[in-house]
Amino acid sequence: MTEHTTPYDDTSSGDTPSEPTLEALTAAGFDLDALSEEQYEVLRALAPEELALLVDIRGRLDAAAPEVQAHADVAGGALF
Amino acid sequence: MTATASLALRTKLMPTTTVLRAATAALWRPDGLRQRYLRYLAAMHPLVRASVPLLERAAERCAELDDPAARHLAAYYTRHAEEERDHDTWLLMDLAAAGAGPAAVPHPVVVELAGAQYYRIEHEHPVTLLGYIAVLEGNAPGPRLADRLAEATGLPDGAFRTLREHAELDGGHLDDLHRVLDELAPPPDRQTAVSVSALHTANLLTRLFLSLAADPGGHP
Repeated sequence: MTEHTTPYDDTSSGDTPSEPTLEALTAAGFDLDALSEEQYEVLRALAPEELALLVDIRGRLDAAAPEVQAHADVAGGALF
Repeated sequence: MTATASLALRTKLMPTTTVLRAATAALWRPDGLRQRYLRYLAAMHPLVRASVPLLERAAERCAELDDPAARHLAAYYTRHAEEERDHDTWLLMDLAAAGAGPAAVPHPVVVELAGAQYYRIEHEHPVTLLGYIAVLEGNAPGPRLADRLAEATGLPDGAFRTLREHAELDGGHLDDLHRVLDELAPPPDRQTAVSVSALHTANLLTRLFLSLAADPGGHP
């Protein structure tokens, strides 16, 4: 899924950032509120591969119940 | 002001938190949890079995590179391999305590997770393993997860050692990784390689959790 690396038809809220990468993230459904300027700078500079992976990950939310999230205390389960 | 390497990585991974929390909510839902927990343990054993060999191979590859940063990275990988050694046996003990055994073959997504890292270490750069570790240790079991699962499944306490130990240890391990990443301060192209490795791992981990949350035998 690499087609979301360019700006979308904008169906998101009016305060969508103007930069293409941030627009693509917002259009994919990511909530980018409450980021610091330093963090915005990081996301603005995402490589196409990074953006494509983020959009792909977000698409998997549809397979879960997106409205249900485990509380941090009882979430997780990854092991290294 | 340019973000540090660890802040940049954490920022890129931050949007994945929502998705992974939803996937773990599905994984740990109450209905059928006992059997699902056993499938989870059986799936995680081959993943954890790969951790020390990956660290050791990454350290060897670092030693082949002639630069001081690679030597620093090799020291971290070698140290971390000792911290992680034999943790795969905890999973076998948990499975035995639950009256179950390891899977006959590894889950396909587990092969993809660990296999991608072997590729990156061999053919890209050993620093990329940091992205894999950051995601796995950054989504470690929550501090109350083992208690909740023990209560919901009725399995003996001995079936939850892995979850309890990782809930305790992985926060400190993640802090150590972030410190090493900042000390290395990789150039931008290497930072991208680390974060692509991390996001690829987050994507596969989501697939693994959703697969385990689905009906038995179901693979994405």
